[in-house]
Amino acid sequence: MLREWWSKLCRTLAGRRGLASDLSAEIDAHLEFEIQENIARGMPPDEARRAARRHVGNLTLIQERAVDAWSFPSLESTAQDLRYSLRGIRRSPSFSLVVVLTLALGIGANTAIFSVVNAVLLRPLPYPAAERLVWLGESDPKAEGISVTWVNYRHWRDENHSFEDVAGFDAAHLTLTGRGEPLFTRAGLVTCGFFGLVGAHPVLGRVFSAADDYPGAAPTVVLDYQFWTGKLGADPSVLGATLALDGKPYEVIGVMPPGLHFFQPSIDYYLPLHQFEGEVVDRARHGSMRLVARLKRGITLRAALADLDVIMQRLAQSDPGPEAQHRASGVFLTEYTAGDIRPTLLVLLGAVGLVLIIACANVASLVLARATARAREIAIRAAIGAGRRRLVRQLLTENLLLAVLGGIAGALLAQWGSGALIAAGPRDIPRLAETTFDWRVLLFAAAITLLTGLFTGIAPIFTAGRLDLVSALKDSSRSATGRGGQRSRSALVVAEIALTLVLAFAAGLLLRNLIVAQTADPGFVPEHVLALDLVLPPAAYKSPQAIGGFYSELEQDLHGLPGVTAVGAVHCPPSVGDCGDWFYSILDRPAPQPAEVPIALFNAADRNYFGAMRIPLREGRDFADTDLPTAPLVAIVNETFARKWWPRESAVGHRIKWGGPYRDGPIYEIVGVAGNVSQMGLGTEPYPEVYRPISQSPSEAMVVMIRAGGDTSPLAPAVRRRVTAIDRNLPVESLRPFEQTVAASLAERRFSTLLLALFAGLAMALAAVGIYGLLNYWVRVREGEIAIRMALGAPRSSILRWAGWQALRLSLIGAAIGMLGGWAVSRWLENLVFGVSHNLTTLAAAALAVIAIAMIAAAIPVWRATRVDAVDQLHRA
Amino acid sequence: MSTVDDPRERLEFLQGTLEVLILRSLQLGPNHAYGITQFLEQQSGDEFLVDNGSLYPALQRLLQRSWIAAQWKTSPHGRRAKYYRLTPAGRKQLVAATSRWQRFVEAMGRILAPEG
Repeated sequence: MLREWWSKLCRTLAGRRGLASDLSAEIDAHLEFEIQENIARGMPPDEARRAARRHVGNLTLIQERAVDAWSFPSLESTAQDLRYSLRGIRRSPSFSLVVVLTLALGIGANTAIFSVVNAVLLRPLPYPAAERLVWLGESDPKAEGISVTWVNYRHWRDENHSFEDVAGFDAAHLTLTGRGEPLFTRAGLVTCGFFGLVGAHPVLGRVFSAADDYPGAAPTVVLDYQFWTGKLGADPSVLGATLALDGKPYEVIGVMPPGLHFFQPSIDYYLPLHQFEGEVVDRARHGSMRLVARLKRGITLRAALADLDVIMQRLAQSDPGPEAQHRASGVFLTEYTAGDIRPTLLVLLGAVGLVLIIACANVASLVLARATARAREIAIRAAIGAGRRRLVRQLLTENLLLAVLGGIAGALLAQWGSGALIAAGPRDIPRLAETTFDWRVLLFAAAITLLTGLFTGIAPIFTAGRLDLVSALKDSSRSATGRGGQRSRSALVVAEIALTLVLAFAAGLLLRNLIVAQTADPGFVPEHVLALDLVLPPAAYKSPQAIGGFYSELEQDLHGLPGVTAVGAVHCPPSVGDCGDWFYSILDRPAPQPAEVPIALFNAADRNYFGAMRIPLREGRDFADTDLPTAPLVAIVNETFARKWWPRESAVGHRIKWGGPYRDGPIYEIVGVAGNVSQMGLGTEPYPEVYRPISQSPSEAMVVMIRAGGDTSPLAPAVRRRVTAIDRNLPVESLRPFEQTVAASLAERRFSTLLLALFAGLAMALAAVGIYGLLNYWVRVREGEIAIRMALGAPRSSILRWAGWQALRLSLIGAAIGMLGGWAVSRWLENLVFGVSHNLTTLAAAALAVIAIAMIAAAIPVWRATRVDAVDQLHRA
Repeated sequence: MSTVDDPRERLEFLQGTLEVLILRSLQLGPNHAYGITQFLEQQSGDEFLVDNGSLYPALQRLLQRSWIAAQWKTSPHGRRAKYYRLTPAGRKQLVAATSRWQRFVEAMGRILAPEG
């Protein structure tokens, strides 16, 4: 086989012309032999020549076939197919342009979304054996991913049989002083195994050793590359120098390489994570440490968690406590890093896939129409001896070529589109910025290009396959494949309308969800509020009095600024999420089982906060000057909390215990009930929440809300000056209009809704083009029929009804199928996206919109049907 | 000479058999295309009709596989013609194909032979 190819190849390279002349000489000699033979048998020379010619056969054909034996048949006929295809594309440029553009849109949109999915969900994390890295937390019957206590961490690390290594990590905020302006900095707290797990080696110095894990060790810090180059001028002499963090000196022992982004949001340096007092012995003493671990080869996550559970069960017996029910929970780190964005991206990928199918249906429909128009050409070619297989292959080649052109244009479009996605996408989508065109994306684009080419090519062939040669040749141009083709195209348009409706319905549901979230009463007035984030360094503010003193002085100062109408501070402002939840119990109720202890959000606010944010008090009183540390402890709960326990009576006067019945904790008397605020972001479910006064439960980290009569932006410089005037070592973490923070909580939903709406719009446009093309053709084929009807006295209105009914019928069938499909998809969406509820109004609106667009697209061809010139048509017929 | 003059229907070559027969005809010594035709028609007792449209491509295929080699020579009657001869590889191929063909014929015969 190989030798055969090789000799063919050599011959091809040497040129086939020599072969042809050699063969013709050989055949001439052959002929001469026969002539001589015939003469020898006694024929006259003329007759001998004629007989020999007759006997030898068609000289040209013999020579051609012999030369053909040297060719690469499949390769060469493919080249011929390609030549024909290019000719076909050039001959009908508008058809080709429409097809290429439609496919480019479909393939481009898919590739762009896939490039994001690839970066965020698929590409492995940049750590060694990242597919075996898992994220570990504790779980109880009600929650997963609870922080791991130091004691449990030590037992897991030392007693497991499933992990190669386990490390703890946590994050903290510290203030850097002594290097110019005081700086708010973020630290990654890690145990010494961490750097080994993420496979990072310092570019300078060393990382932590096991000795650094213990509290007695000298304070050391390892710098992040970005921080080292950005804030410390990439100075190598920084090794051995000290950084003053929260007023305490830390020795710089190393610098990590660039591109290590384990922590999100990114951090400035690493500090050793070690236990603080009490954590060493109390198995229920939680910090906020989670673990990262690498599974041993061949061990499943499930088996590893079961292994940890055995340890937890043993500990529950030997060291029982309030958390005897706790077990281990874990997810793969890739999944954990992708987080909540996963369902959103899958919805978008599904939506954009539908757009591609619609684009394909459109192209298939166009190709079908063209195949009908080309029925004659194809029939002629079949008649002069082109095999069916060859014809089919040629049609396929043509479609594949168009698809490849569309794919190339689509890839270019996608490259631009994914750039736009990154620019427009919300900042907090993990790894979004890493979106690039790697081989996976290109492979994906190539695969869908090939699929679309095959799909759009094969659909028409099923019709062309039934070509009736005789009628195609006899008939001038129409109806040869008209009926069959028409039926297939109608089915395609029905499918397009159905899919478009599904997309429009899904987009409508998300849009409605977004509007509900945006217009829902957040429970406070976010306009004209400037939010000032501060974190007081514990080294400088050691006592609750110092903290309280600072905030009350600051609030008083800020209140004096012109334009400021109210100032109040809170630990965890609305819409930023969960800043800490904890167990509690109601004192006058029976104690719940250990696994049933309820959890609430615990927040801290000062007495001006509710007034400044205009959060209404439903019952009782606000915090007051009299709520001193020495006075009885008080709390204000939110409405959800109050309703949960006292649906019919007032919550005021009841007492709650922090930590629940099985843990130590203070007791608070409820003095008021405040309105619900959207703590987890706009439009989210309210959660039971307890506010404690900062005079009794001080917190270093507060957000000071400054309400102004109007625009807040002129206030910002004055606010900064006031902060510096009180403490010139205090960095301002952030100072911005609170409206921005609130809006940011919807950024991701707004983004995905916008994209989905865009895809639905694209689908509608494609479906409109599809139905337009179909009806246009329908009318063109029936011009003669219409003319006859008109000549027989049919009024224009009946023609209008007839053509209009065609369009309406297709739209209605498509819409009916689409409504069923949409209903099914909405169920799926409900599970995937919080707050989405399927509703008939949206479905009806989507159906009406799609039908309306289909009818508008159909209007021009239908109108043309009524304008058919009967006389002219009949003359032509 | 052609089928039109011949009352008896002649046999067509089974797929792939023409190549083997060409190899066999060259076993006696180098020959040109016309000579091969003559040989095959005579040896088959005029049962086979060699179609030049099949013969020439078959020769090309044998050349490609290096089972035969070609050379322009002068015939005993003083005419130039392209002579084909067997190569060692072709000789081996002929032996293999012959034994395969004999097995094939025996098997066919056993099945087609009348019972009893």
